[in-house]
Amino acid sequence: MLHYPQKISLCGFGGQGIILSAVILGTAAVTCGGLYAVQTQSYGSEARGGQCQAELIIDNKPILSPIAEKKNLLVALFQTAYEKYIDDLEEDGVLVIDPQLVTRQTRKVAHTFEVPATQIAVDLGNRMAANMVMLGFLSQCLGTVSREDLRATVEKQVNPRFVELNFQALDAGIAYAKEHHMHYDGEQEGA
Amino acid sequence: MANIKATDLPAWEKRVQSGVHFMLGNYALVEGAISAGCDFFAGYPITPANEISERMSQRLPEVGGKFVQGEDELCSIYACAGAALAGGKVMTATASAGFNYMQEGLGYCYTVEAPVVIANVQRCRGENYASQADVYQMRYGASGDYEAIVVCPSSVQELYDYTIWAFNLAETYRNPVIVMSETTIALMRERLDIPQAGAIELFNRRYTTLPPQDYQPFAAAPFGCPDAAPLAQGYHTIYSLNPHNEMGSIDWDPDEFERLYRRVCGKIQENSDKICRTERYDLDDAEAAIVAYGSEVRPALEAARMARESGYKLGVLKLCNIWPVPEQALRELSGQVGTIYAVEMNNGKYVREIERCAAGKCAVVSVPKNRGLAHTAREIYDAVMRGVK
Repeated sequence: MLHYPQKISLCGFGGQGIILSAVILGTAAVTCGGLYAVQTQSYGSEARGGQCQAELIIDNKPILSPIAEKKNLLVALFQTAYEKYIDDLEEDGVLVIDPQLVTRQTRKVAHTFEVPATQIAVDLGNRMAANMVMLGFLSQCLGTVSREDLRATVEKQVNPRFVELNFQALDAGIAYAKEHHMHYDGEQEGA
Repeated sequence: MANIKATDLPAWEKRVQSGVHFMLGNYALVEGAISAGCDFFAGYPITPANEISERMSQRLPEVGGKFVQGEDELCSIYACAGAALAGGKVMTATASAGFNYMQEGLGYCYTVEAPVVIANVQRCRGENYASQADVYQMRYGASGDYEAIVVCPSSVQELYDYTIWAFNLAETYRNPVIVMSETTIALMRERLDIPQAGAIELFNRRYTTLPPQDYQPFAAAPFGCPDAAPLAQGYHTIYSLNPHNEMGSIDWDPDEFERLYRRVCGKIQENSDKICRTERYDLDDAEAAIVAYGSEVRPALEAARMARESGYKLGVLKLCNIWPVPEQALRELSGQVGTIYAVEMNNGKYVREIERCAAGKCAVVSVPKNRGLAHTAREIYDAVMRGVK
């Protein structure tokens, strides 16, 4: 799994649910996992379509600086966001992209995972669930937070009408990681 | 001084949401206020303080309180003054540009000794950029003689804890208290542990035991705080901004004038040691110290750790409040270390107070950052290490 402190940047464009996914991840880590988390964000004034980034640090001890200068996980759901934030990723960091929306990579990253989260969400019937597909994937591949903790948090935070869809999306992300044997074990890498 | 627990508040089960949360800073401040017994809020919209009004408008009706959206900032602070003098525990919230407008009403609150809590979420460049540029405005913004109390949370947890502290100070000293927030922490989500209600200690203002005919609304010991009168029970009180005597009547007699303002200032000055709080980190053997307040404390602590790892004995003095100035702690520190680094997110302001307290006993170096962004730990570390051979 990704070692602590997990210094995560989730980026894309406004309307993709970037900030909600960071809030759910942080809430699950803190309220279910008993961990510490800090989440900050930046976004354009547009309701949809502006650049959007959420930063999240998860650690097993209290967190001092709320902003990590370098991240060890970058999740990019749009080309321009990828280009803006790719240099924030540590040398041996982990990159997760939606390959249909990030089509041109400018930097070779050792641990890159391509997850067609938006297409998976479209197949489930709602492209808005791409963020949850990604959270499911992160849970399975990187061990950010468990499936159970994510489900418990989604149930509390998401409009009841969309809870079932979000559950399906989480599971689809988990299934994608399993089917494609996508697993990151940072500790093995260091050994 | 009355001393109660949060469990003594009406609707305390709804007020205190005990447990672990992942909460927005502005919301945590509201939860602190509600846990402290806040039952009235008036405010006018402004970013980055809007989530305070938003949550207050949801939470206050749940606990039997009242929420008012003022027509502007002046209305909001005066509504709070009135509600406070009527016996309420009250709060308003604004951000730098809106805080400008509140100064007149704030001056009134100081003079009539209205215990109002004000959250000032500092911003800069007219937008949601981080800043600590209003540290002097929060002390000297209103005209006249008064002493400000300003507490400086550095995290979402402290936004909760220090807001309770702010209400307790306001009630204890019958003085406005400002919670100095910042974009940085106000719009951050973070872990918040809300304790059991029985563990939350609250202070309520002291009420008179005298019958109405013997009651003097502004009678107090030379540096004391007058007893309040219950509303609608026959106690007649004028709360005037003008100089007033112990009966509350406007009185321009120089002796009354001098006595009033000496007491209004003295009740804070003489109790400064009880009000001020600081926290010392790794200072016992330190060669140098960072002094920081608010969100800058966090990168400062990380920078000190980096310095220790590289062999330099650096510590941190965290100021939990900046007004009144924690003079004793700063004096002690200046006699102990060779250099104090004053880290703050403005052009270098509070460094003047630190220099005043150090009085030449050690070097004081200003480490300002005024770019709408908090210091990184690396920037602070580099600034300190530049001075180290």
